[in-house]
Amino acid sequence: MDAATLIPTPDTIPVSWGWFQALLLLTFLLHILVMNIMLGTAFIALVSHLKNNRTSNSLTREIAKKLPFAIAFAVNFGVAPLLFAQVLYGHFLYTSSVLMATFWLSIIGLLMIAYYAAYVYKYKHDQLPSGRIFLIGLTVSLLLIIGFFFSNNMTLMLHPESWSRYLEQPGGLLLNLADPTLLPRYLHFMLSAIAIGGLSIAIFSSYKHSRGQQDAQLGIESGCKWFAYSTMVNIAVGFWFYFSLPKGMLAHSTPQGIFFIILLIAGLGLSILAIIRALSCRVLAVTHLTLTAVVLMVFMRDLVRRAYLKPWFTPQDLEVVPVYAPFILFLLSFIAGLALIGWMLKLAFEANANEEAQP
Amino acid sequence: MNYPIWQLDFFGGGLLIAVIAVFHVYISHFAVGGGLFLVLTEIKGYRENDPAILAYVRKHTKFFLLLTMVAGGLSGVGIWFTIALLNPAATSMLIHTFVFAWAIEWVFFLIEIIALFIYHYSFGRMERKKHLLIGWIYFGAAWLSLFIINGIIDFMLTPGSWIENGNFWSGFFNPTFWPALFFRTFLTLIIAGLFGFLTSTWIREQELRSTMVRYCARWLLIPFALLLGSAYWYKTALPAELQTLIFQRMPEMKPFISGFTLFSPVLVFGGLLLAIRMPGKISRPIAGTMLIIGLLYMGCFEFIREGGRRPYIIRDYMYSTSLLKKDVPQVQERGVLQLAKWVQHREITDDNRLEVGREIFNILCLSCHSVGGPLNEIKGLTANFSPDGLDAMISGMHIFHPYMPPFAGTAVERTALAHYIANGLNNKPTMDKENPALKEKFVDIPEFDPDKDEYVLLAWSRFGMQFLFDAQPNQFLTPPKNALHAQLIKRGETPEIVSEDVTLSYIIEEKFPSPRIDKSPDQTNRDHSNTLTGSLSPAEGGFVAEGISITPYSTTGDFDPYQVVTVEARDTDGTLLAATKVVVPVSTELGCRSCHGGDWRVDNRAGISSTTAENILEVHDRLSDTDLLAKASAGQSVQCQNCHSEPLIQAEGKPQHLTLSASLHGFHANFLRERGAESCNFCHPSSAHGATRSFRGIHQDIGLECTNCHGSLEDHALSLLKAEQVKGKKGAQRLMNNLQPQEVTTITEIEPRTPWVNQPDCLNCHVDFEAPDSESAFNTWTENLAGLFRNRTDESGQLFCSACHSSPHSLYPAKNPYGEELDNIQPLQYQQEPLPMGSNRNCAICHTVEMEDEMHHPNMLREFRNF
Repeated sequence: MDAATLIPTPDTIPVSWGWFQALLLLTFLLHILVMNIMLGTAFIALVSHLKNNRTSNSLTREIAKKLPFAIAFAVNFGVAPLLFAQVLYGHFLYTSSVLMATFWLSIIGLLMIAYYAAYVYKYKHDQLPSGRIFLIGLTVSLLLIIGFFFSNNMTLMLHPESWSRYLEQPGGLLLNLADPTLLPRYLHFMLSAIAIGGLSIAIFSSYKHSRGQQDAQLGIESGCKWFAYSTMVNIAVGFWFYFSLPKGMLAHSTPQGIFFIILLIAGLGLSILAIIRALSCRVLAVTHLTLTAVVLMVFMRDLVRRAYLKPWFTPQDLEVVPVYAPFILFLLSFIAGLALIGWMLKLAFEANANEEAQP
Repeated sequence: MNYPIWQLDFFGGGLLIAVIAVFHVYISHFAVGGGLFLVLTEIKGYRENDPAILAYVRKHTKFFLLLTMVAGGLSGVGIWFTIALLNPAATSMLIHTFVFAWAIEWVFFLIEIIALFIYHYSFGRMERKKHLLIGWIYFGAAWLSLFIINGIIDFMLTPGSWIENGNFWSGFFNPTFWPALFFRTFLTLIIAGLFGFLTSTWIREQELRSTMVRYCARWLLIPFALLLGSAYWYKTALPAELQTLIFQRMPEMKPFISGFTLFSPVLVFGGLLLAIRMPGKISRPIAGTMLIIGLLYMGCFEFIREGGRRPYIIRDYMYSTSLLKKDVPQVQERGVLQLAKWVQHREITDDNRLEVGREIFNILCLSCHSVGGPLNEIKGLTANFSPDGLDAMISGMHIFHPYMPPFAGTAVERTALAHYIANGLNNKPTMDKENPALKEKFVDIPEFDPDKDEYVLLAWSRFGMQFLFDAQPNQFLTPPKNALHAQLIKRGETPEIVSEDVTLSYIIEEKFPSPRIDKSPDQTNRDHSNTLTGSLSPAEGGFVAEGISITPYSTTGDFDPYQVVTVEARDTDGTLLAATKVVVPVSTELGCRSCHGGDWRVDNRAGISSTTAENILEVHDRLSDTDLLAKASAGQSVQCQNCHSEPLIQAEGKPQHLTLSASLHGFHANFLRERGAESCNFCHPSSAHGATRSFRGIHQDIGLECTNCHGSLEDHALSLLKAEQVKGKKGAQRLMNNLQPQEVTTITEIEPRTPWVNQPDCLNCHVDFEAPDSESAFNTWTENLAGLFRNRTDESGQLFCSACHSSPHSLYPAKNPYGEELDNIQPLQYQQEPLPMGSNRNCAICHTVEMEDEMHHPNMLREFRNF
């Protein structure tokens, strides 16, 4: 069967695809960072409980306090890129989602359990010394499963040639397990989460340290270690991922191929530098290097997606039926919303500072 | 068509979305109204300087955050996931059309989260004014989220002028946008009150508990009047057609409309009840119950709104099946299998019929019908239908069931789908007419001696095709009456029709002793002395026996639709002058059960079961808002002719109701379009594969079909309906809307006719009694009763047409499926060949000599043409 005949016809878009591309990359960057913090810190908390050392109690208490926030924002920041991805790639994404519908829809239930478990973990962290391992273990396991389903969908949407399996199994129970990139891709993302989780602990501890909490040094060291070691492993996994990609898909002779290689080398370089700085606990430097590397990785991810889809589709193909007013209204709401959020956060920090000033 | 379908059985029919949506909508409305509740209650605490109230608000905030942010937020995303899986095409359309509305809503969602976190975590730690401001920002963002989603949801129900102009704003600010926004806003406040009950009834301190419960009661009761006002506004803002549809033409909506109406006073009463001071032990369960009633209340409203959209997902634009309204004609022409992207089979064969049927079911049915699940379960809904019946039902399902879409596929695909559902899921036999073995019936041809016998007795049944609706106890369709005619001819060069000083009598075959149909066959009176006999009374030009009540059931339990009647003519002394035999047909093989369920009552081939009859009444009740089934169950007489006039039995019916023929043919024609003669056989016992095969005369033998004389069912129905329309009966147009004339181009060309009076005339084709040039007798009708074949005589005015040619539908020479001789007894008796009386110059039968004048009708003195 010719896979091209299965690909649904896309709908028209109201403004040029480039806008959606920009919004997709920007909001995905936000999502992936918060998602990494959420999953990474939760994972580190779990490992800390398993190791059961004394430091872990103050560290895990902090993680427990903040984990529900991280989940809330990971979900919220996930909505926007999923929206923009549906605008550009909906006909691929909806299709792959239906093929694995049972798993895909289960994400909502799993996430709800993980979320409530995280809240119970937060409220009962000190009361349930043994139960909390179960709670955070549950949250982490569920988040890892959700990540696995996401990796499946994000790769299944790129493989229309494998979609005809649906005709034999229309029950929404397909995954993309035969794809050699699935496992390295998944591990790459999960290890990134641990690294960023570690880094976020280091950043938070560093903030506390700067405000005079001496014991925060332990958090800085621990966070940097988590970052450094997981990134080391992740470089190896990254190569595995790279070599698992179809040969010639990003030919070095094409502009995309060259751009990809440049991003790869730059990303690799930044990561190695970040590891070196992390080993000496230079949190600020690691943060800058890592953020830059993550931005590059987001671009690379997008290049890979577009290279996969190139035989079938490019977003430039989408027909534009221009409607600009809602777009402008969105941009205005977005800017106004950010300003409002900034102001609210300022109020919150002020209130917090006042309270700390008046114990 | 464009996307693969997630093949669900139990969870099909939208169960997933129904569950997740009602859950989400309830919490998300709480998330809006509850925000205002927090701020205003906090203000109350400050104003009354009551730390206990503030402590309550703080606690309530935590509950609010945990419920709305986790369950509410995630189930909202869940709805998005779910609709994208169940209807990706519609989701894609909504996402692409309203992408920036969604994006703006996302910004509000983000503001909500941050504002709520700050509100919760800075409670008591932030300056009061600022804290309240954060609360107000939360409420504002939440309400604006509602504002946006409301626009998109109501766009799906009433897209308004967007359909024509495709304008974003026309779609967003659609005709029901504002009333729905107000309605939902008041609903959010009520729900805030309901959740307020839940937390306030748990306050330990009794005084405070009473105060706060009463305070919550005000949240419930004050917006209620406004809610009902806006509900009325919402209703009136719906296009008139949609109002009629939802509130009158969708019986399925009734429970939800009643639910909404019923729960309104219950909620008000509950609110008033809780305002009474009472112990927590009592108020807490009441609060919990109220919360559940609120959920049901909301569920009823959402079901009405979603149901009102049916069969569309975006009204007048996209069907629930993801098909665009504008694409349906193309799909009907080329086929769903050719145009859908995600099908395995493009062709239908005998081997893959069930699989293909399933594929078509997935594409065209699954979005609304589950298999074995709680929502619109397909097996139950179609349990009555045979594959053929279901095929017919599907072909016209959208006409009388406005919540169903027209079938989007070819006739062959429709048949495969019906086969899958009726046979594959419901195990109904594949063949409706099962070609039952017919028990051959022999008859002794009475003797006739042309040299000695002085009389020729000719007898015929008034109808050659007669059926009886014999369901017990609901015999509401046709009364069990046959009529027998006869003419006695005294032979001679100038024969005479004898009508005086003779008596004619009939005797039905012995094995049909008790013709009373109020007994089932196995209870039939087996007393052989009870043989049915009677006399024929003199009538204009001959003799008639009216009202002969017979059934096709013999004492042996056989189904025999052709009873042989012996007719005798005697003089005043009782001396036998002549005797003959004739078949009086009666059949109970009506196809009702193909669609109305039930089994055959007798011999697995005929008889209307009470199940079938009850379903007919039930469907009539549903579609015409009657209570016939209840009446019949209560033992009251239910006769179609009480309301629907029928000239055949001089039943006048009710003046505004259609004639029985017009309503029966008009209604069923909508399901049996474009099927030619096959459509007749669906209901009448005329199929060549059935147990009766009552179309059996010469016309059948030379290959003509019902439609040659009566027209296709569409034309037949239209001619009847048009006569009703001319009389100003409103119901006719509704039945005519979807019928396309077949024989002629437009409805204006169809000649209206009265049933049983204006019938096809034999001479339409047999012009001047010659061989026909045309094969269609449709659209030129006999002028009156006297013009009917059964009432007409030859040119001498003496001999009835039927005397020589037999009854309509069994014209000589007729091949009766039960025995070659059965329908030709008299020709065989008098002229030893089964031809019309006097054919092949057999004038001497009556005239005793050869004749040269064609006095009966022109073109009669010749060899019989078709034998």
